[in-house]
Amino acid sequence: MNPWRRIKQAWRERLASWVRKRQGADALPVTVRRQRLYILPTRAGVGLGALLLFMLLAGLNYGNNLALLATFLLMGFVLVGMNLCHRNLQDLRIVAATTRPGFAGEHGQLDLTLDAGGAQSRWAVRVACGAAHTQAGCIAGQGSARVELAVPTPRRGRQPIDRFELSTTFPFGLFRAWTWIHLPLAITVYPAARGTLPLPYGSDSQDQGQADAGQGSDEWSGMRPFRDGDSPRRVIWTAYARELPLLVKEYAGAAAEWLQLDFDALSGFDSERRLEQICRWILDADSRGARFALALPGARFPAESSAAHRERCLQALALWTTAGTQP
Amino acid sequence: MTLPAASIWLLASFLGGVALHADRLPFHYVLVAIVTCVWRALAEVRHDIRLPPAWLRGLLALALLAGVLIQYRTVNGLGPGTALLVSMGAVKLLETRGRRDRYIMVAVALFLMLSACLDRQSMVRAPFYLLLTWACCVSFIYIANPGIGLSTRQALRLTARALALSLPLALLLFVFFPRMAGQLWALPSQGSASTGLSDEMTPGGISALSESDEPAFRVRFFGAAPPPQLRYWRGPVLHKFDGYSWRRDRTQSYRSIKMNYGGNAYRYRMTLEPHQRNWLFALETPQLPPSPTTYFSYDSQLLSAQPVTQAMSYELTSYTETSSSDELSVLGRRTETSLPLDRNPRSNALARQLRVQSADTAGFIRSVLALFRDRGFTYTLTPELLQQDSVDDFIFNTREGFCGHYASAFVSMMRAAGVPARVVTGYQGGEWNPIGDYFIVRQSDAHAWAEVWLEGEGWRRVDPTAVVSPERLTRGLLDLLPDAGTQVQRFARSLAWVQNLRQGWDAANTWWNDNVAQFNARAQLSILRRLGFDSPRLRQLGWIAAAGLATWAFAMLLWLARRAPLQRPDLLGRGYRTLCAWAGRRGLARAPDEGPRGFASRLQREKPELAARAVPLLEEYAELRYGRTRDDERRERVRRWLTDVRRLRFAA
Repeated sequence: MNPWRRIKQAWRERLASWVRKRQGADALPVTVRRQRLYILPTRAGVGLGALLLFMLLAGLNYGNNLALLATFLLMGFVLVGMNLCHRNLQDLRIVAATTRPGFAGEHGQLDLTLDAGGAQSRWAVRVACGAAHTQAGCIAGQGSARVELAVPTPRRGRQPIDRFELSTTFPFGLFRAWTWIHLPLAITVYPAARGTLPLPYGSDSQDQGQADAGQGSDEWSGMRPFRDGDSPRRVIWTAYARELPLLVKEYAGAAAEWLQLDFDALSGFDSERRLEQICRWILDADSRGARFALALPGARFPAESSAAHRERCLQALALWTTAGTQP
Repeated sequence: MTLPAASIWLLASFLGGVALHADRLPFHYVLVAIVTCVWRALAEVRHDIRLPPAWLRGLLALALLAGVLIQYRTVNGLGPGTALLVSMGAVKLLETRGRRDRYIMVAVALFLMLSACLDRQSMVRAPFYLLLTWACCVSFIYIANPGIGLSTRQALRLTARALALSLPLALLLFVFFPRMAGQLWALPSQGSASTGLSDEMTPGGISALSESDEPAFRVRFFGAAPPPQLRYWRGPVLHKFDGYSWRRDRTQSYRSIKMNYGGNAYRYRMTLEPHQRNWLFALETPQLPPSPTTYFSYDSQLLSAQPVTQAMSYELTSYTETSSSDELSVLGRRTETSLPLDRNPRSNALARQLRVQSADTAGFIRSVLALFRDRGFTYTLTPELLQQDSVDDFIFNTREGFCGHYASAFVSMMRAAGVPARVVTGYQGGEWNPIGDYFIVRQSDAHAWAEVWLEGEGWRRVDPTAVVSPERLTRGLLDLLPDAGTQVQRFARSLAWVQNLRQGWDAANTWWNDNVAQFNARAQLSILRRLGFDSPRLRQLGWIAAAGLATWAFAMLLWLARRAPLQRPDLLGRGYRTLCAWAGRRGLARAPDEGPRGFASRLQREKPELAARAVPLLEEYAELRYGRTRDDERRERVRRWLTDVRRLRFAA
């Protein structure tokens, strides 16, 4: 990193901590008040300022009144633009903020619901969190809009979102107004689904299970109508596309088979690798519609097959520490 | 694939900037700009058309730079600077990629507007400058927010509103921002062609005088204006005659004459159109030069230190009678009596003969004028060409000509008889503009006359043309000769309303030139004086400008806060709010989470007396908002529904 960048980075961090101290923690719903709204010219704005200064000097020097008039008009335009930019964020409301979990090395998600907070429409509001950013479409006056921001999740665990930023350069790109929001948010990061070991079947149906597994996991034996709680992965979409009702694949012996996913049984790996392998297994079992039980040091989940069970287990993996798990 | 809005507005801004210079710039620069714009647009729309590679762009830039250098020999100055700006902008257009490049292109367009302002500030062009500014502002929106989904109309309205809001500030700063008295740096003058008079006159070589309607200058008199026969606007004085042409000798000069002024005084303000020369015009000989950068030459010609490249105004005082008791210096006498020895022998002999027959110089002048009056001379704008001995040919053969012929022949004959005389060129007369309360003097009012030295009296004006054609002085050239001017000019003159329109237009332009284009530090100080400052200073202007800026900023904030920008809620939504508020005032408010149907059923249960009126409206609202209605039908129903909602409030 070059020294200039390092200075910039350090400066930013100091500024951020100062702002955090100044504003305190936020609670929903957050209204972007004037006091927490910052505005500075962009590079284009500085450039136009320099151009206007040049025009002013040229107009004064040659006593050229039309050049001066144009300069003054643009000066006013810049000031009006600054005000419009500020007003584009002022009194905007954040009425909901939630996160969605992600796998390590992939993306989690920050979901915001922004409310126009008045008759005024909001245009081109940018949401940024760290290096990730996205832009909200137009938030019509009296209306609200949902913004989904994909946030990279490098490591397993709980990834706190200390702060995110709402900014805008609307309308003319000459100024950037922004505000920092500090909400108590965190993304749950599941372990990366990695590992090559075959699915471990429960002890009481071991023989049958292994026989089925040998026939290949992609083979399915029949179909039945869709019931609530069925995994979308098992829906036969090709049939649905032919305007048949929603049908679900049934795997041979899936109802009977169940898996025992045991942390301690995976000897020979470090704990992170074990969690990754278990994560892989959970996803595979879920896609086959198999029932599975999870045993971690300090936590046990009896065999079941449902979306809620899957989420519970994945969350347990995400938050597991050697000291014990706190789901 | 369509062209993105940012590109459309960018190209429009750049082309607009080039268009402001299209009439002055050599055509190939305009062509380069158009070609690159088309290329750029096609490259964005079609995949099989590529922008040129870097080496080709570099080569193109070098070639265009070389072209500018070859054509102008410099890159300094308005003409070459603009050409360079257009060329480099065109090359830049071929490599514009990111947001930064696009902003630079807008800056180029704004620079082109600046140079257009420096070039010309006439009233007709001002709206085009404004349009270009507007286009640049719209470009800002689309460059900063690509794919924002703002319609062109909304973008135009948003920028128009921002510009309209800044207009008061612009006018305020225009009046009160302190101007500089001098210049920090000067622009090299451009070599554009001059119009109007030159410092050479060859009457025999012209077979048709141009009758241009172009204004030369305008004059506003403070008080009474002199009668037409006294309105001689003195310009270049010509001394040197080679038998055919008169020239102004720049190397020679003689001691200037001290003058006494008498008769009526006329105070007036001249506004000169730029003519690229350094001479100024005045009513006869004014008493004092109007400013420190102007002066009188040895022959009392008013000159400016700088060529007149922009409209220029000055105030003068002139007197109807001037005299001098000075002696003409020896060098002066020699200069003003010199003639080529071997030219015009017949007229010279005639002049000497007339001189001998006359008692004094005044008598001699009278007899030469009588010669013009009595020997069948005629006034025409399309005379025959003259031989090498032009005066002889004119007096003894053709006997027709315009002012230049008569002045030339008259002065030649004076000098032949040893009387010091010189040719004076300038303008005579002028058209009265009643709307603007001033005289406009056009190029077609150009005139030439003579000045003769009379011992003990000084230089006296003699106009031999007046003898031949006295109406020339009172009626103006174009009135005098029915077939003068082009068909269109003659037709326009015959229509009163065209004449009125022309005069109104000219008055507006004059107002613009006087009050806008030439507004300066002096005008600012006089405004301060009118505002009640006893000893106005430029610093006070600064304070007023700052206070004005603060007031404007405050007003702008209030204005923007009062109005929700861009989008108002839809009509249906506003009507719904009215309806709910109406029910709320009567005791049953809609809960925030309640829909129209839920609210309707609650009304029916809890306030049946309101329900009869409100429920049908709520049902209709739900239908219009969420139901499927055909567009044409819907509009009509929304309208009817809104009327019903409004009627609610007035019913008891």
